[in-house]
Amino acid sequence: MATLGSLGTVHTTDLLIVGGGIAGLATAIVAKETDPEVDVLVLDKVVSGWGGKANKGGGNYAYMVEEDGFDRFLDFHVHNVGDFLEDQELLLAYGKESRPNLERLESWGVHIYRDDAGEPKFIRWMPQHPWRMCVMDQDMTLNMHRHAIKLGVRFADRVEVIDLLKDGERVCGAIGFGMLDGECVVVKAGAVVLAGGNQCYKLMRRWSSARGEGIAAAWRAGAAMRNAEFGSFINWVFSDTKEVCQGAEDCLYNAKGEQISRAVRPAIESDVHSKEVVAWWREMKAGNGPVCANMAENYVNNVVAPAFHDDKLAFRPVSMKFWGLTIGRAMAASTVQGPMQPVLPGFIGEQSPVMVDHDMATTVPGLFAVGDTSAGGSSLAGAVPAPPGRMRGSGLGFATFSGARCAPAALAAAKAAAGEPDAALAEELKARILAPLGRSGTAAPELVRRIQDVMSPVGNSILKNDERLNAALDEVLAIKEQLPHLAAVDPHYLAACHEVEAMALCAEMFFRTSLARKESRGWHLREDYPERNDAEFVKWIEVHDAGGEMALSTTPVPIERYPFRP
Amino acid sequence: MNAINIDREVCTGCQTCFEACFVDVFRWDADEARPIVAYPEDCTECNKCQLECPEQCIEVVPDYFGTYWPPVV
Repeated sequence: MATLGSLGTVHTTDLLIVGGGIAGLATAIVAKETDPEVDVLVLDKVVSGWGGKANKGGGNYAYMVEEDGFDRFLDFHVHNVGDFLEDQELLLAYGKESRPNLERLESWGVHIYRDDAGEPKFIRWMPQHPWRMCVMDQDMTLNMHRHAIKLGVRFADRVEVIDLLKDGERVCGAIGFGMLDGECVVVKAGAVVLAGGNQCYKLMRRWSSARGEGIAAAWRAGAAMRNAEFGSFINWVFSDTKEVCQGAEDCLYNAKGEQISRAVRPAIESDVHSKEVVAWWREMKAGNGPVCANMAENYVNNVVAPAFHDDKLAFRPVSMKFWGLTIGRAMAASTVQGPMQPVLPGFIGEQSPVMVDHDMATTVPGLFAVGDTSAGGSSLAGAVPAPPGRMRGSGLGFATFSGARCAPAALAAAKAAAGEPDAALAEELKARILAPLGRSGTAAPELVRRIQDVMSPVGNSILKNDERLNAALDEVLAIKEQLPHLAAVDPHYLAACHEVEAMALCAEMFFRTSLARKESRGWHLREDYPERNDAEFVKWIEVHDAGGEMALSTTPVPIERYPFRP
Repeated sequence: MNAINIDREVCTGCQTCFEACFVDVFRWDADEARPIVAYPEDCTECNKCQLECPEQCIEVVPDYFGTYWPPVV
């Protein structure tokens, strides 16, 4: 009979946080602020403070204050972003807690740029947007990491967590392996918080690290998922370098010289939308490609983005160097001269379906999920990929908000019940997790490419219909058949095997839920059901495990108690 | 595939690049106290290794045009 100690290195902690990006760090810090005596352990697949996406993004933090009008914010959001699938109570709480959370971030070592009166300097993406954005430099998570160490948070880097350990129905630990030595790592914990990010299918550059292992771990532990059908975010990229072409969405031209954005986006919106991707796709299918972004008319690139990078708003030396060496260098390397730059949609995903309540508790006792892992599943943003879910700045905002909300609840759960992981189950999990090591079979990159090939086509993931969705689902199920044959030569590729397993799971969930939502709403567009159907689909679609198969159910949005209704 | 070039003579073995990579491209040669570019195929040119290197002895050379791209239309 195995004991936990016989399986590998064993850590014991009150609160285990999986993922040392902004959401995990926020949770860890608030946990120690709430109770300095509690033991908090953060595991990261690579290195806490360096990982995640917060330190590789725009550094925008969305917040608002009373004078912006919280009702105005909700009104804007339901009509322009989430299409009435928002949890309006949670979204309102986000709005109200966003300004205090900004102060929190500053107290954790994140530099907030203030004006002479001491107020945060802010900017709005568009003047009519009811939320403000202040900007932060890309050293923010390193500063939070240092602050967490000062508070006594413990860190263990290069540990890949694959599965959760349970005592009965309650999560009380996790199991994985060391990324350097492949040795089994077991953690006994009072409660576990998943903070490892969402599913972005390892394609687009700065989103690449989000491969959904936390989502998969939650699924195998029995957690329900919600809003998986919206996880197909794209960003416009230059056709040659595949680097982001910010603002292309508003200045697309077909090969005949016709402006195609304006028909679907008469005014500049808060972010990319699936509707102009459809416009691009139809032009390409009609032989009117390539479609180009007219950079001379690119208002976002020429006017909005420079305002965010203006030193008068914030001098950000880390970010400026980063953007110069990423987008700046790619644009300089472009093979196409002149303002008309061919573009195409670069598939991202941003699928974050772990279903959580207002304290970020999943449906499994002892298990919580924050940040990109649960943004979609929280329903905060509604019918959009999340975060940021067409509300720029809400990625950093939700990470902070969810971490701050989760920590007290997770601590309470950790103290309320002590579980003992089932050692026999842990032994089985260890065998499953390490199985690809040393055997011959399919290499993970081969299946990653097949999954990217089925997710990326616009006809599969953006403009959906029954025929294409079913074909895509069949391909995902065929890929799923190959998963037991994955092989790895070392721990890095072992991690890749588990990543592709998570990708296949998320892809299956995406296509099954997309088939079930027989309407068009928000980001989710159906060619065969082009209208929004409020009579039948003001509902959240949820996915549950039923004996190893995905079972779908719906929960009506409690729209009658919300201030804004269709 | 991106190339990651390291001037091992200038490198002081501080491990910043090893820590900064968010997609696990590097391994560490403890005997030589130098980074090993173990998984260059996973590099997504976030360039953090290059940007943060105190000796500026590491360079990421993007392969913009050779990267696999799935079908879109």
